[in-house]
Amino acid sequence: MKTLKRLTALLLVVVMVFSLAACGSKESGGNDSAQTSGPDDSQNVKIGVLVSDVTSAEALAFRAYYEEYIQEQYNVTFMYSDELADAAAEASAIDNFIANNCKAIISFASADRPAQIEQCEQNGVYYAVATGTLTEEQYEQYKGYEHYVGAIGPDLYTEYMAGYNMAKYYLDQGYTKFGMFGGATPYYTEMHIYRAAGMLVAMCEAGNGTYMGANDMGSMIGAIYGAGCQLEPAVIGDVELVGYVAGYDFDDAWFGKLAAVANDPSVEVLLAVGSGQTAFAGFKQANQKLGDIDCYTADSVALMESGTLDYLAGKFSASIGPVFIAVLSAVQGHPIRTEEGNAFAISQGYWVATSAEQAKEYFEVDSSKTEPAYTRAMLDTLYGASYSDLEAFVQKYSFEEIKELAK
Amino acid sequence: MGNDTLIRKENRKAALFRLAPVMGLVFLFAVFLILAIIKDINIPYSFKNIINQSVVVVVAATGAVFIYTLGSFDISLGASLCVSALIGAMAYNVTGSVLVMLLVCVGVAVGISLVSSVLASVFNLPVFVTTIAMLSLLSALVLVLIGANGTGDVIQVPAAAVRGINNVWFKLIVMVLYLAFCIFLFDFMKLGRKEKFQGGNPVCAKLTGLNGKKLAIAAFAIAGIGVGLGAFLTITYAPTLSRNTASSVGMDIIISIVFGGMPVSGGARSKIYSAAIGAVSMTLLNQIMLTLSLDSGVGQMVKAMIFILVVYISMSNHKGNILPR
Repeated sequence: MKTLKRLTALLLVVVMVFSLAACGSKESGGNDSAQTSGPDDSQNVKIGVLVSDVTSAEALAFRAYYEEYIQEQYNVTFMYSDELADAAAEASAIDNFIANNCKAIISFASADRPAQIEQCEQNGVYYAVATGTLTEEQYEQYKGYEHYVGAIGPDLYTEYMAGYNMAKYYLDQGYTKFGMFGGATPYYTEMHIYRAAGMLVAMCEAGNGTYMGANDMGSMIGAIYGAGCQLEPAVIGDVELVGYVAGYDFDDAWFGKLAAVANDPSVEVLLAVGSGQTAFAGFKQANQKLGDIDCYTADSVALMESGTLDYLAGKFSASIGPVFIAVLSAVQGHPIRTEEGNAFAISQGYWVATSAEQAKEYFEVDSSKTEPAYTRAMLDTLYGASYSDLEAFVQKYSFEEIKELAK
Repeated sequence: MGNDTLIRKENRKAALFRLAPVMGLVFLFAVFLILAIIKDINIPYSFKNIINQSVVVVVAATGAVFIYTLGSFDISLGASLCVSALIGAMAYNVTGSVLVMLLVCVGVAVGISLVSSVLASVFNLPVFVTTIAMLSLLSALVLVLIGANGTGDVIQVPAAAVRGINNVWFKLIVMVLYLAFCIFLFDFMKLGRKEKFQGGNPVCAKLTGLNGKKLAIAAFAIAGIGVGLGAFLTITYAPTLSRNTASSVGMDIIISIVFGGMPVSGGARSKIYSAAIGAVSMTLLNQIMLTLSLDSGVGQMVKAMIFILVVYISMSNHKGNILPR
């Protein structure tokens, strides 16, 4: 027993000594490489990637683009976090990346973005947001941080329009009875709230009605938050939201509710703010239409070919290419800043497919490991570029525009 | 074989098994250091990181050792930590006092623990049964608290409020003080001996006049203090709390206690430092897997296999021919 106690005491002393070393250490951030002609491939750059989702098709497609294309093309190594459930997990993952000498972090996780930015700034590690943006308030607070590179992704207006355009697509065809899947709306996820708001406003406009007293973007967002993000079926003038399900419970009750909405004979169109293929595809009736906002995968193409899915607003995996090159550029001493010297915030939209042929064409490009939508040659033009060049490049996000850029 | 020889052999074997968790920790430490040197890891930052990542589990699990010593089990500790942290954060937002936040965290956690143990006493149920009910209740309470707070899906304490105490020194002081408190109670007071006796043989304990219910209440109260401190440390590290806060802590506590060599059946072989050794070992193992860039699925499988191995070794140790001494 004495030996055991001595060993334990010895271990404690060792831990304390290293803790002292940890407390006294100084971080060295940034880098000293400066090459304006193009990315410096002579030294490997480690980049941490924060993810809150490791299993969805979208998350896997993004990861494949970074690990199977970008990592093969550039002298970089991506370190992925585990699935991050909360702010503490995000902080731990950032600590892990810093300990492993990552020079930059690209974040797909949003439990506490301000804390992520603060932690990276404090430790001299570059930080960028992929496939998302900060709120205006947050941007104003952090835009001047030296190590905050910026954000590229659909802003909230783009999310709103994605929902609006999808609902309008069906309303224009004369459909009036809808079932809706609200995804993470009850969890206060802004992206899904704005998409849902867009769908509801489109219904209000087509039906000459209101939903919870609201009929435009501002009032609808306010009404949704006012209702605690809990939506209900309602008659909206000449249009009707017949059924509504939200959340990601994945239990029998949840699947039962989805089936009930899809099995309602009056429902003509099923709309989903996300994950519609998971939620509704299994229950959808042959005469119903299904629209979803998600990403391009072999499964979604197959669903479009079978007629199960007929509208898909999808992110493309290479959409995270520009944020990568901006991060690499910053790490190698050529940060891309706005004219005022701030971090950038650039909105990027979706590819919309309304036919199987379109979806197939998009997917072939999107899943390519040799010629993806954004190739190295295209991304290299952004290395050390001006803000206006980066903005112009990112904002040409439609499939046709990107094909033009590739030429 | 004479009795003396048998006893010596068993004692040697027992000592070896007792040292196994410490040796495991030393081994993991050595592997981590070697990898850190080979892979050019920032070693000082890594140690700071290991402390940050293990301190909550060390504190919460060390208190839980008192429960496990009784041969009992509490699966609601993670949910209890989450509820305590949420209410503590709400208390800070009302009062603006970090001290009030600390006291509320500890008070709520102790309260929850006492409810579990008192309910078990009133209804004469095994304590772990009431903790299962508490797990459901607390999980629902988390959603109610977040909903009632009215600020979306999180409850936040301003980062500036806890920045001053979000450092390794503060966490180490909290951890060492609580460890010292627990070691004192467990190894130097009657309470620890009674707990071990109760866990090892409840019938004999009862016949000698020990009150099992009182011991259970005391064990849960001490565990509650650890959970409350864990909740407070969670807020200092990440002051944005959600329904997912501490979602893995409950399982981490169980794994750490077993990983540290604590017999799952409790009793005389229980060791108060098991949780600390187990928690740090787990964190080191995670760091090693991260450094090796192992896929998280592979990492989970490795951890599961080690867990089974440790339980097997722990059980083997109990197959001796003589009672522990």
